[in-house]
Amino acid sequence: MDRKRVAGPELSVAPLIEYPVDHKRWTPQQEKRHDSKRQPEDMRPIYLKTGLIGQASGSAYIELEKTKLACGVYGPKPVKRIGQTFSGRGLLTCEIKFATFSCAKRRNQMRDPQEKELSQILTQALSPAIRLDLLPKSAIEVYITVLESDGLGSCFSAAITAASVALAHAGIEMLDLVAGCSASYIQTGPARSISSGAESIPPQIFMDADLEEEKYEQGSIVLAYMPSLNEVTHVLQSGKAEGSIISQSVEHCVEACNKIYAVMHHALLESVKENQTQL
Amino acid sequence: MPSLISPAERDYILKGIECNIRADGRQRPDYREVTLETGVVSQTSGSARVRIAGGTDVLVSVKAEIGPVLVDPETGDGADKGQIICSVECAPSASQQFEGRGADELNNELTQMMSRFLSHSGPAASSFLSTTSSSSSSSTAASTTAKTTSGAGGINLSKLCIIPGQQCWILYVDALVLDYGGNLMDAIFMGTRAAIYDTRIPKTEVQDLGDGQFEFEVLDDAEDTEEVAGREDMPLCVTLNKIGARHIVDASPLEELCTEAKLVVAVNRSGELCGLQKGHEGGIEPSLLLEMIQSGKTMGQSLIKQLDASIKKEAESDLAKRQRGEPVHKLGFFAQ
Repeated sequence: MDRKRVAGPELSVAPLIEYPVDHKRWTPQQEKRHDSKRQPEDMRPIYLKTGLIGQASGSAYIELEKTKLACGVYGPKPVKRIGQTFSGRGLLTCEIKFATFSCAKRRNQMRDPQEKELSQILTQALSPAIRLDLLPKSAIEVYITVLESDGLGSCFSAAITAASVALAHAGIEMLDLVAGCSASYIQTGPARSISSGAESIPPQIFMDADLEEEKYEQGSIVLAYMPSLNEVTHVLQSGKAEGSIISQSVEHCVEACNKIYAVMHHALLESVKENQTQL
Repeated sequence: MPSLISPAERDYILKGIECNIRADGRQRPDYREVTLETGVVSQTSGSARVRIAGGTDVLVSVKAEIGPVLVDPETGDGADKGQIICSVECAPSASQQFEGRGADELNNELTQMMSRFLSHSGPAASSFLSTTSSSSSSSTAASTTAKTTSGAGGINLSKLCIIPGQQCWILYVDALVLDYGGNLMDAIFMGTRAAIYDTRIPKTEVQDLGDGQFEFEVLDDAEDTEEVAGREDMPLCVTLNKIGARHIVDASPLEELCTEAKLVVAVNRSGELCGLQKGHEGGIEPSLLLEMIQSGKTMGQSLIKQLDASIKKEAESDLAKRQRGEPVHKLGFFAQ
């Protein structure tokens, strides 16, 4: 028990919401996206801004409609931890934390296994881009706070995007920016079944799915990609899918990452311009 | 488990892989010899031990216990489903690096990966596909309608349910790494498949007491047990390590240290991909990524065939021995 904190209730349950009688929950049967303005290949509009955290060496804030997160980068600084052996390469540590109020169910203040894993994956996704070999004996720390989560996949890909922009904003030497993108496979028609042999329709690929769409997903993919080097730095796929769907979604994600890259570029250019006017 | 590698050794491995010959004489797509044994721990519902010739030794146990179902309050999903809970632990005796909290990160990574590949339950509200299920609460009981989409894990979770909305079987799949010789993930998944094949769940008898009340009894007849439904569709994973411009399977610890990026591909017997995860701190070009997925897929499928054949052979020989009244001798732990 952590006595320093006000403990929330041990068990949290999402509130039961009573919808009006004519309310219809979104189902993928309608072959439309939850957000009816979007096409399957459309992402949500991205708002990305650097330099909102004053204390950090570099920072970024990203918003994809209801997915909102902030990222702060500290370093490079000397490795402090005692017992750490000499390392010729810089040490990158990432920490992703979901705010307790960010999801439908309340999350604990303590880091749970999922957060630990996401932090690890984030490290793996970012380190190919950073020139860690130029930073011996030093450490870079990346902290991400998720303020609002609207779908785990989109949240995670936004974290990758924001973290790499924050790293660039901190002036850390990098080979390229890493853009993150997510997609969900959703069955919009009758599913393939072994027994009945019904007409099979391959699942549709919805880019940047939100929470409501994620509930119906058959599988999902998160891809981290360096656009100018043409290199995938991370791929995480869960759920069952045919090989053709995977290769298709990888292509879609690469395309989307190129679009995100333009946004990241723009945000960084803006921050440079702001610096100039301040001088 | 070494943690550092000298530049000379790295160069040796790199050049060797380029020439398609590895330090132990294997070619790039070759696996080491795998020893597999099921039914090694008597206290479990099913167990298996996998040893890869280079040293990796993994013990997987499955324990079936009864617990409450986990229901999603919003979609009402999960009321008619059992659960699979995975965990991986690296024994401190396996490597000095696993001592204390040293293995925490690795444990967590492997556990999360395993749960993602095995217990991903497919679309949450799969009932929307069946046309008549407007009143979702009643449809949960009618689980006889064949589920059109089973999850990536393959195991039919609905069959693990005892009383819909109340009680279900929970399968605890625990993997214990006893020795480290590279390629842990593949060994763990081979062990898991074998252990699930070995698992027998007691039958239950449900009585309807009226007005929504149910009671059930677990039959304690050792002969009267069920196999885990859908076990044939469980995925197996193949880890591909990208070293230089090439990729290899079943890397030894030293080869793992030279690895720029590894890709874990989970595939089931019909060739569907059930999961994909990149590891290590390097990148892969998209074209190579797709090539690696493809080779992982074909390799995984042939691996499943071989594994199933060997599991079947072992089960048959055990059965034959029992019928003849001979004792069944197991090799036991750490046996070569």
